[in-house]
Amino acid sequence: MKFFESLLKLDRRIIYIVVGLLVMLPLIKPLGLGVSSGPRARALFDAVDALPAGKTVLIAVDFDPSSMPELYPMLVAMMRHAFAKDMKVLLCGLWVTGSGLADQAAQTIPKEYGKEYGKDVVYLGWKPGVDAVILGMGENIKNVYPTDYYGHPLDSLPMMRDVQRLRDIPIVFAISAGTPGYQDWLLYAQSRYGMRVGAGVTAVSAADAYPFLQSGQLTGLLAGMKGGAEYEVLVQKAGYSKAYMPAVAAMDSQSLAHVVIMLLVIIGNVAYFATRKRSS
Amino acid sequence: MKRNIPLAICLLFGIVMMVQFFVPHPASVAFYDLTTKWVRIVGAFALVLGTGSLVLYHVDKLQRRRPGWYYSIVTLAAAAITTVIGLGWGVKPGRPLQDVIFTSFLVPLNASMFAILAFYMASAAYRAFRARTREAALLLVAAFIVMLGMVPIGAAIWGKLPDIAEWVLSVPNMAAKRAILFGVALGGIATALKVILGIERGWLGGGKQ
Repeated sequence: MKFFESLLKLDRRIIYIVVGLLVMLPLIKPLGLGVSSGPRARALFDAVDALPAGKTVLIAVDFDPSSMPELYPMLVAMMRHAFAKDMKVLLCGLWVTGSGLADQAAQTIPKEYGKEYGKDVVYLGWKPGVDAVILGMGENIKNVYPTDYYGHPLDSLPMMRDVQRLRDIPIVFAISAGTPGYQDWLLYAQSRYGMRVGAGVTAVSAADAYPFLQSGQLTGLLAGMKGGAEYEVLVQKAGYSKAYMPAVAAMDSQSLAHVVIMLLVIIGNVAYFATRKRSS
Repeated sequence: MKRNIPLAICLLFGIVMMVQFFVPHPASVAFYDLTTKWVRIVGAFALVLGTGSLVLYHVDKLQRRRPGWYYSIVTLAAAAITTVIGLGWGVKPGRPLQDVIFTSFLVPLNASMFAILAFYMASAAYRAFRARTREAALLLVAAFIVMLGMVPIGAAIWGKLPDIAEWVLSVPNMAAKRAILFGVALGGIATALKVILGIERGWLGGGKQ
């Protein structure tokens, strides 16, 4: 009885230490559980992979640093995929706090493939007015973004000569941590301009995206860090990248974190029912 | 007058923009292009309003020494420092706003906030997630299946777990989500019509006629 009662009053700091250790240990010594790619990630990969060289992939960086560990690997993996296939990448964002993250990706990933800014990749930056921005880009991107994030006029960037409006871009990959996000791209870019939309979302909001996936509105879905890891594996298996895969590396930690939370819930329930039975 | 003019503008633009969506004529597209520019400009004003509202709220909290007033000092100081650095040195990459405020402060602070959630969630789940009723037990089982099925260790424990987790997400979860989405969409349409027709006037504010 006392044992179960003491379990119910377990100091939260013990829980924190256990969770902390189990998250850290696999980062130091990986368990090597491996990641297999599911149909949703495969569908997005195939859609991008089927595009001919020279086409542009629009990546919407609609997240901020709080969801960076989950979503940034998706951005990097998608850029690697596009560059390895000699496609161009257009970056933009509906979250002002995500602008630095897109900048970081625009500065680092193209160099891995010898790609040039302005010719193979352009970062438009952030503008206020979600629906107005997407709808405006549907009519003429230069009207919404006369200059890119770095202040270059769009007319001076060779890549933008072939990319005037959303209809010139076959697919948008919206990496979203909430609102605004992929639903806005579905609502405005797809319904009005017929764009294919793929989404990358945090694990906690993945369940919301399933109806759009089944209806065919979403071409593919990367859900949480697992989704990022799946895409990293697909890109690497196809021989497009040999770089370090941060999401795959973090999956062991996430596995153990899930297991420890489940064990805690089980222990908590056992202790609760044991004490309740005896008291009644 | 203060109410009738905004109501008339709302009614006019609500109807015109609904009709415009179905008219592909160049004049209609040009009008649409113009109005989206207006929306962006109005959006910029909203940013100013939002900043003003934030400052006023925290100044008031400080003056009245409301609980947690000292956090308002942090908020106001952070807003002021960011504004000064942004206006003084610019917002382009390579300037202090990007290299110091964003990279060295915002990124680690935001990431830490989110990371701490894992600890709170573990502690909260331990204390509160109880199978007290049949529904709670069902939720618990579904959560366990999805939590295990969505990480590699689930497949290592039992190869069918990811498939079962996928079924939970694709069938019962989606049915519930669809119902919610339909409800939200219908509610959204009803609210939009009420605003356009002037039945719902909350957006005008609480001032007297």
